[in-house]
Amino acid sequence: MATVQVSEAEKVYILHGIRDDLRVDGRGCEDYRHMEIETDVVSNTDGSAKVTLGHTAVLVGVKAEIGKPRPMLPDEGFLEFFVDCSANATPEFEGRGGEELGTELSNTLYKVFNNKHSIDLKSLSILRGEHCWVLYVDVLLLQCDGNLYDAISVAIKAALFSTKIPKVHISSDEEGSKEIELSDDPFDCIRLRVDHVPCIVTVCKVGHRHVVDATLPEKACSVASVLMAVTQTGAVTCVRKVGGGSLEPESVMEMTETGKRVGKALHAPLMELLQQEEKLGKSRQKVGFLG
Amino acid sequence: MLKSKTFVKKTRSGGVVKIVREHYLRDDIWCGSEVCSECKPETTELQKNAYIESNLCAYPHYLIPDTNVVLHQIDVLEDPIIRNVIILQTVLQEVRHRSAPIYKRVKDMLHEKEKHFYTFTNEHHRETFIEREPGESANDRNDRAIRVAAKWYSEHLKAFKSSSDGLEVVLLTNDQGNKQKAADIGLVVFKCEEYIKSLIANPELVDRLALTDNEKNEISKKVLFPEHLPLSKVQAGIKAGTFLQGTYRASRDNYLEGSVFVQKDGEESTEVLIQGLANLNRAVHQDVVAVQILARDKWVAPSSVVLQDEGAAKDDAGDEEDEDKALKTTFAETAKKPTARIVGIIKRSWRPFCGMLNVSQIKESTRHLFTPADRRIPRIRIETRQSSTLAGQRIMVAIDGWPKDSRYPNGHFVRSLGGAGEKETEQEVLLLEHDVPHQAFSQTVLSFLPKMPWVITPEESASSSYWAVVVDEGKREDLRQLIVCSVDPPGCTDIDDALHCRELDNGNLEVGVHIADVSHFIRPGNALDQEAANRGTTVYLCGKRIDMVPELLSSNLCSLRSNVERLAFSCIWEMNHNAEIVKTRFTKSIINSKASLTYAEAQMRIDDSTMNDDITISLRGLNKLAKILKRQRIQNGALTLSSLEVRFHIDSETHDPIDLQTKELMETNSMVEEFMLLANISVAQKIYDEFPECALLRKHPAPPPSNYDILIKAAKSKNVEIHTDSAKALADSLDVARVDNFPYFNTLLRILATRCMMQAVYFCSGMDSDFHHYGLASPIYTHFTSPIRRYSDIIVHRLLAVAIGADATYSDLMDKHKQSALCNNLNYRHKMAQYAQRASVAFHTQLFFKSRGVLNEEGFVLFVRKNAIIVLIPKFGLEGTVFFDSKDKAGPKLIYDEEGPVLTVEQHTFHIFDKVKVTISLDASNIQHQKIRMALLDPVIPGVSVPAENPEPPSKKSKIDR
Repeated sequence: MATVQVSEAEKVYILHGIRDDLRVDGRGCEDYRHMEIETDVVSNTDGSAKVTLGHTAVLVGVKAEIGKPRPMLPDEGFLEFFVDCSANATPEFEGRGGEELGTELSNTLYKVFNNKHSIDLKSLSILRGEHCWVLYVDVLLLQCDGNLYDAISVAIKAALFSTKIPKVHISSDEEGSKEIELSDDPFDCIRLRVDHVPCIVTVCKVGHRHVVDATLPEKACSVASVLMAVTQTGAVTCVRKVGGGSLEPESVMEMTETGKRVGKALHAPLMELLQQEEKLGKSRQKVGFLG
Repeated sequence: MLKSKTFVKKTRSGGVVKIVREHYLRDDIWCGSEVCSECKPETTELQKNAYIESNLCAYPHYLIPDTNVVLHQIDVLEDPIIRNVIILQTVLQEVRHRSAPIYKRVKDMLHEKEKHFYTFTNEHHRETFIEREPGESANDRNDRAIRVAAKWYSEHLKAFKSSSDGLEVVLLTNDQGNKQKAADIGLVVFKCEEYIKSLIANPELVDRLALTDNEKNEISKKVLFPEHLPLSKVQAGIKAGTFLQGTYRASRDNYLEGSVFVQKDGEESTEVLIQGLANLNRAVHQDVVAVQILARDKWVAPSSVVLQDEGAAKDDAGDEEDEDKALKTTFAETAKKPTARIVGIIKRSWRPFCGMLNVSQIKESTRHLFTPADRRIPRIRIETRQSSTLAGQRIMVAIDGWPKDSRYPNGHFVRSLGGAGEKETEQEVLLLEHDVPHQAFSQTVLSFLPKMPWVITPEESASSSYWAVVVDEGKREDLRQLIVCSVDPPGCTDIDDALHCRELDNGNLEVGVHIADVSHFIRPGNALDQEAANRGTTVYLCGKRIDMVPELLSSNLCSLRSNVERLAFSCIWEMNHNAEIVKTRFTKSIINSKASLTYAEAQMRIDDSTMNDDITISLRGLNKLAKILKRQRIQNGALTLSSLEVRFHIDSETHDPIDLQTKELMETNSMVEEFMLLANISVAQKIYDEFPECALLRKHPAPPPSNYDILIKAAKSKNVEIHTDSAKALADSLDVARVDNFPYFNTLLRILATRCMMQAVYFCSGMDSDFHHYGLASPIYTHFTSPIRRYSDIIVHRLLAVAIGADATYSDLMDKHKQSALCNNLNYRHKMAQYAQRASVAFHTQLFFKSRGVLNEEGFVLFVRKNAIIVLIPKFGLEGTVFFDSKDKAGPKLIYDEEGPVLTVEQHTFHIFDKVKVTISLDASNIQHQKIRMALLDPVIPGVSVPAENPEPPSKKSKIDR
C-alpha cells in the first residue's frame, strides 16, 4: 500500500485535530472527501464507472461473458474480480510491486460482492448447469490517495448499475441440442438490480477517535482500521479488520456503528445521482475523462 | 467527428462479444451532381439534365433505389436507359452482405461512365449518418438511413433550383411502410413497378421486372410442393445425420427424376435417386440441397422412359397425378436404388438460362412459358408483352423464385440473344450454356501485356542489348542459328511448337522441341494469369477461336512464326540412330524459326527427293526417328484409337459450311505428335523428380473391365476376339481384327474402343498415387507443348523453369491443395470446351444439311438399342439414330436381345456393323433442338423404311425465313 512518511510533529497535529473533530483538510470525522462519479466511460465494456475520491481515482469495467456455472451452484452466475495496480497510481506498483495489494483487494471484493445477498446471481443464469453469465469486474487504480476500498466499492456499484447484458434466449430443436441465440437489437438487454449491492466503509482508529475516508497521512497515524460492507438498509454484510494494531471490543462496536451510519447515508445520494445520469440518456455530455 | 458503432456478436465458440468500431463522419463528401455549386467534387457523375421520359415525373430526376429494389431488379437497373442513379452506401453494404454476384454487377455499373451511377457514402456524411434507435430493427434503421439521405439530397438540390430546372430525387422502394414514411416527410417516392411502367419510351423494360413476393397474394391456390425447411433446421438435421447434403442433378431424359450426390464424412460419395414432382420439391439442376432418405419400402428404380415436359402450360393443380403415373413402371427389386426427397435448399445456383419462349395460346396473355435449352432446367414462367417479337428468338431468362403453389418457377426476361438458328446467336448460346468465358479481355488483364517497345524488329534485336543481357545471364541460350521449323495445320496462327534435328560430330542426332515461352509473359498472380487460369484452355469452335490469352500473345509474341526471333522453352535430346535417348536437357532459349509449314507442305518436302535443303534434311531426320519412336511406343502397348473428326470447308463470304470431310492424317502429323509426346514424357519425369509433391501431371486411368463389354460383344458377332486384359493386349487384338470384304471394320472397332475409355485428367502428384497413362502406355505424362492454348502447360513450364533454375518459384506453385483446386478447374474447362466444340460441330453439320436438303448415304450400325439403331456415316463422320417407334402411331414389332445385341424389326434383324442405307435430313420441327433425322432406306422393311425418292426435302419447308 502506498504510504507516506509522517513526522512525529505532524502526527501530533493530526491526532489533536481529530480529537477536536477537525481534520487537516477541514472535514469532520464522518465526512467523505469530494467524490466524482461518471458511468459508461469505456465503450467496449458492458458497464463501467470512474470514481474520484479526493485524489484517489479508480476505473471499473464490467464485461459479461458466457461461461459455465459452478458445479455446486448450477443455476447461478458469478463474478470475477481483478484489480490492476497500475504503476501510474504510485511508483511503488512498478514491476510486480502492486501484485500483492491487487490480490488482497480482489479477494476482499470477491467476498463482499459475489454472494446472492448482494447481487441476484440467479438472474445471471442462462441455462441451468450449462451456461451462465460471468461478470468480469476489472478494477484499475489510477491514483492512490488513501481509502481505496471505499472508492472501489462505489465505482463497482456504479459500474454494475450501468451494466447492460445482451439478451439471449435458448432455442432447442427436436434433437434436444440447444443453441444460444442473440437478439439482434443492441438495445435489447438486461439490467442488474443493484439495490442490495453494498458499499464498503473503512473506519480508521486514530488516537481515541475514528474517522472515515482517511487520507494517507491520517492512515499513517492510525493503528488499525475496520472495513465493512453496508447495504442501503444499513445491514452489514461483511466486516474485516485491517492493520497491525489492536482494537478494544468496545471501540470495534463503536466503529461498526459509525460505519453503518455513514454507509447508509452514502447510498441514497449515490443512487439518486446514478439514476439522474441514466435519465439523460444520449443527450448526456461526456466530460472529463475519455469524453 | 468521431462516433462509435457498437454491436454484439456471437462468436464461433458460442460466446458473445461486444464489438466497438470507430466511425468517422465527414463534412466534405460531395453529392456528385453537376448542378451543385456547393460541393466541390473532382468529377461529377450525375448529369444536369437527367431526363427519362416518364409520365409520373416530367422533371429531371435522380433515382435512389432501396436495397430490395437493387437486389431484385438489377436487370432493370442494368438497362442503358436507366441512368443517373444514386446508390447509397447503406444500400451497397446491404447488397454486398446479401448477394455477392449482384454486388459485383452493381460495382460494374458504378464504374461504367455512361451509366452515371454514383455512390453516396451517406454513412460517413455528417448530416446523413443516423444511429440506431432503441426498439428499431436493423432493417428499419437502414430504411430510415435511406430516407434521411434522400431527404438530404432533395433539400441539397433545392438550393440550386435556379440552375437545375426543378431537379428532384425519386426514391424507389417496394416496401409499403417505407414508402408511406417517405411520403410523409415530403419525398417523391414510387414503387419500382409503378416507375418502370411509367417510362413512356421503353415499354420492354417492364418485362425485365422481377416478380416480387407481394404480387402473388392473388387467390390462394392449391399448394403443390411441401414447404422448404429453414436453413437452421436443415443444418441441425445435417449435423444430426437425419438429412444429407449434396448437389442436385436433374436427369436429361426425364424431368420428373434427378439424383443427388451426397458425401458423408469419411465415406465415398453416393448417389441417391429423387423421383416425382413433390419429392424434387422445386430443386433446380446444380442447387445444393438437403435430402432425407425415404424408408426402404419406398425405394424405386430409375425409370428408363424418356419424359419431356412438353405441351401447354399446365394448370397449377390437378395434373401432377397424371404426370407421376407415367413414372410408375414395374421394376425388379434389385434395380431399386436409395431414394430420397428434398427437404430444403441450401444454396441456389440459379444463373440466367438461354432458351426460347413458348408463346401462350391465349392471345393477349402476358404470361408465357420459357423452355431452356438445357433439358435439365425446368420451364420458367415469365411475363412479357413482347411475346410476338421474342418468339423465334433465343432469349435469356433469370429465375426469380419458385413459390410452393406454382408448377413452374417464376422468372423474368433478361435479354435477347438474336434469332434462333442464326449462327451468331447459336454460337453465343453454346458458349453460355457450356460456361465458356468468352467476354473480351478486360483492361486490367490487357495492362499486363508486354508494352509495345518490347517488340523488337529483327534488325535491332541482333544487336539489342536486351538480348545480350538475357543471354549473358546464362538463363537463356541463343539457338537462333539452329534450323528450326514448325509444322501445323493450315491457317494456324497460334504456333506453339517448333522442331529441329541435326547430326552431331559424334554421329548422334540432336533433336529439339521448342515450345513458346508463354510463362515468360504471363507472370504468376497478376490479372492476366488469373484470367488465363480461369479460362483454362482455348476453345476452338468451327470458324471461331476463343483465346485463353489475349491475341497479342497467342498470335504474335508467343507464336513461333518463321523468320522472327521468339522466346522459347526448349527440350533437347541427344539420340542415336535407333532413337534411344542419350542425353536430355531443358533450357530457355531464343529461336528463329526458318519455316512455318503445314502438314502437307512438310510431307511434300520429305517425299520430294530433289529437295535437299537444310530444312528438308532436318525434317527427314525427324521423320525417321518418329517412325522408330512410334513403333516402340506401340510395342509398349500404346493404343491407336480412332474417332472421326470432320472439317468444314467454310465459305469465305457467308461463313456457312459448304462441304465437310473427315480429317486426313499424314505421316507428318504423327511425326510432330511423336516428338510432342516424347517432350511431354521427358518433362513429366523431370518435374516429378524435382517436385514429387506438386508436379502437375496428366493421367489416363484404365477403364473398368465392364466398359469393354459392348466392344467384345460386337467383335464376337463377327467372330473376332478382343482381349482387354491390358492396353497391349487390346492394341494387339485390335491390330489383327480384320474381316474379309469389310475394310472399314477395323476403324469401326477402334471407334467403339474409344467409347470405352475413361477421361484423361490433370492432377497434382502429391494428391494421387496412380500416374499411369493408359492410352499412351506411359508411366508418367503431362502437358508441356501447348502453353498458348492450355493453362496446364503454363504451370508445367513454371515448374520446369524452377527445376532448371531459370525462374523463381512462388508459394501457390508449391501448394498441392491450391494446385489440386486448379486441376479441378482445368479438368472442368477442358470437358466443357470439348462439349462446346462438339456442339459447334453438330450445329455446323445441321447448317450443312439445311443447305443440302435430303441426302441418301451409306452407313454402318454402331449400336443397337431397344427401340433404335445408331448409324455412323463415315463420309461425314456423322452419327444418327434411326428410331423404330414413334409417339403417335403404333410401331412395328420389335424384339430386342441384349446378348447380341440384336434388334429384330418385323422380319429383319439388325446386328452391330450391318451396312445400311439411310436418308438424312434436318428436323427443324423443334427449333430449339434442331436435329439430324435419319430414316431407313435399305434394307427395306415395310412400314418402317422410307421410299428412296423424296419428292421434296422436308427441311426446306420448316426452314425459318430470315
